[in-house]
Amino acid sequence: MTEHNSEKIAHIHEDLHSHLPSEPALRVKALESLLIEKKMVDPAAIDAWVEAYSEEIGPKRGAQLIARAWTDPAFRELLLTDAPKAVAEFGFEGWATGHTVVLENTATTHNLVVCTLCSCYPITLLGVPPNWYKTAAYRSRAVREPRSVLAEFGVTLSPDIEVRVWDSTSEMRYMVMPERPAGTESWSADQLAAIVTRNAMIGTQRDLPLAVKEPA
Amino acid sequence: MDGIHDLGGKEGFGKVDVNEPEEAFHAEWEARMLGIVRSMTRPDDWSLDWFRHCREMMDPSDYLTRPYYDQWMQTYSSMMVNSGVASVEEIATGRSKTAPDPAADPINAQDVAKSMNVVGTYDRPYEKAPAYAIGDRVRTARHGHKGHTRLPAYARDCIGTIHCYRGAHILPDTSSAKSEELAQPLYTVVFEAKELWGEDSPDGDRIYIDLWESYLEKP
Repeated sequence: MTEHNSEKIAHIHEDLHSHLPSEPALRVKALESLLIEKKMVDPAAIDAWVEAYSEEIGPKRGAQLIARAWTDPAFRELLLTDAPKAVAEFGFEGWATGHTVVLENTATTHNLVVCTLCSCYPITLLGVPPNWYKTAAYRSRAVREPRSVLAEFGVTLSPDIEVRVWDSTSEMRYMVMPERPAGTESWSADQLAAIVTRNAMIGTQRDLPLAVKEPA
Repeated sequence: MDGIHDLGGKEGFGKVDVNEPEEAFHAEWEARMLGIVRSMTRPDDWSLDWFRHCREMMDPSDYLTRPYYDQWMQTYSSMMVNSGVASVEEIATGRSKTAPDPAADPINAQDVAKSMNVVGTYDRPYEKAPAYAIGDRVRTARHGHKGHTRLPAYARDCIGTIHCYRGAHILPDTSSAKSEELAQPLYTVVFEAKELWGEDSPDGDRIYIDLWESYLEKP
């Protein structure tokens, strides 16, 4: 049985710090070799996860949910009131999707998601988080000065738009639904999904440009 | 614990790297580490909260300077050593000093396809009614404790309003400290930016934080 002793863990960290190889790549390689020798991991399973997170599990999933909600009022209602059920309709269930909440941007509100205490993120819908999401700069500032963080991302909010910052301190997983851009009334869900970005679903982008993805 | 991880509102960390390339991984070892974490056999009593607490116990300078997946590497290593699964020497050399468990049966590539769609849930049955209702004003606890907790320091001893009830969820403070789950009501509490950061904050800006019932009291 695991002994949950903080002091002991701190001591082990010191020991590891002094004895592990000097480069992260070498440290991870040694760990993988050890786990294979101990038959605690199958390298083909690691390959399968890497492939999944490089291809299938990414922001295209979240974008499909948003695009469907923009084009289907019943689905929009479901996504905003019972997101886990909406996620299941697309077969996107996975790690932590059981507590998904979708936050709607409007003309007068802007949502921004952060995890100040660690790195909680809707990984199954948006893929692995960007490194900046996990940095001290983003985590410290997003709750205190969200408007200046947004400005760095090129988002300037007028004072009449209220900012709502969501600090992901539990297993609830927050994803932002950006506003549908004007001029896309005739677009299909597939065309719309192509313009929804990862940052827009975190809240560090507000307006979605249409220039690149004109409908055929 | 008042650790380095509790970063909300700290100042002096500079700008966010908004030009980071969009690809999922920036180095192969990062991808391998995530794959290891998703695939490795582990003791049944390693909770997510125990992992988070073990990461918080890193040396503060390592926490701020070592790459993210490198922190995972060291944190999982510390948990393995603590649970007697491997020694520091074995992890450092990558060579095992003992024969594998004859019953060892790690998940294979086919299992990955199946486990990919497994939904973990953290809400649990709860007999009592939640103590607070939507719209109630609450005050957050003034003090934390030495263990793992999810009330950020920046939101201690502040007045907020219950925005919604999320059901009874596993309390991190106990699941990180012993091998058992305790369900407790979880609320999203909304705070005016002015309450947390002072009068210079813009009118109407708000911060929403998920907080367990024992972090709250009537104001």
